[in-house]
Amino acid sequence: MSHQLAGHCHCGAVRAILDTPRAAADLPLRACQCSFCRTRGALTTSDPEGHLHIEAAPGSVNRYRFGLRVTDFLLCAECGAYVAAVSEIEGALMGVLNVRGVDLAGFEGRDPDPMIYDEETPDQRLARRQDRWMPVALVEAQPSI
Amino acid sequence: MTDDGFSWRGGGCHCGGVRFEVCLPAEVEAQACNCSMCAKTGFIHIIVPESRFRITKGAERLSEYTFNTRVAKHLFCSECGIKGFYRPRSNPDGWSVNARCLDTTDGLDLKIELFDGQNWEANAHGLSHLSKEPA
Repeated sequence: MSHQLAGHCHCGAVRAILDTPRAAADLPLRACQCSFCRTRGALTTSDPEGHLHIEAAPGSVNRYRFGLRVTDFLLCAECGAYVAAVSEIEGALMGVLNVRGVDLAGFEGRDPDPMIYDEETPDQRLARRQDRWMPVALVEAQPSI
Repeated sequence: MTDDGFSWRGGGCHCGGVRFEVCLPAEVEAQACNCSMCAKTGFIHIIVPESRFRITKGAERLSEYTFNTRVAKHLFCSECGIKGFYRPRSNPDGWSVNARCLDTTDGLDLKIELFDGQNWEANAHGLSHLSKEPA
């Protein structure tokens, strides 16, 4: 059985749809402890067997990079929401979704797993993301909310 | 530290483009709000009077977002999207600073309570005293 979990940023300019064979309760919920994620209390999820589809109104996505500068943090230009982090890995766009930023249903009341990635080498980071992140399609189109 | 036990603390966004200072006592009451906006940004409110907050860098980099009554002025860094402070609807005469964006909370006794912003009209009056200027 497949599940379609959807949410959007506050102003609605960016919508995220996660297609996954798992129910929300069976997906991970991670609280990365990096300097960026802590300022937002980011809570991310991903399903390597799933697929993330992001619809963004034209011009509504800002991309922010820091650290190793290999990852785009996708931010709504209108309301500032952090929607997802994406990175091109071996020619494919892969990413994680910020459950908090799009208020994705089904994760309420869960205690996230705190994650500390500070000691990772670039190779270890890449391997982790290949293992855990999911394919992403980012489409410039007015979201159908 | 000032004579009344308050001290100025620094904070900012992630990219460093926006910086602020806020004058806080050692023990601070903060609110974690569950409204549609705060839930999505993870904002933890420290509400202070106008005189206890100042932007020290990057005011021109702030983007403003408003919705509903448009009284609250939600401000975020146009580069990294971080919302370090804003003008809250509950306290438009003061500021709400995001506890997550302070450089450090060392030495700060932060008492975070839940604020039911989903029922904002019924609860906002309970916050109005937080932005009153000291006599």
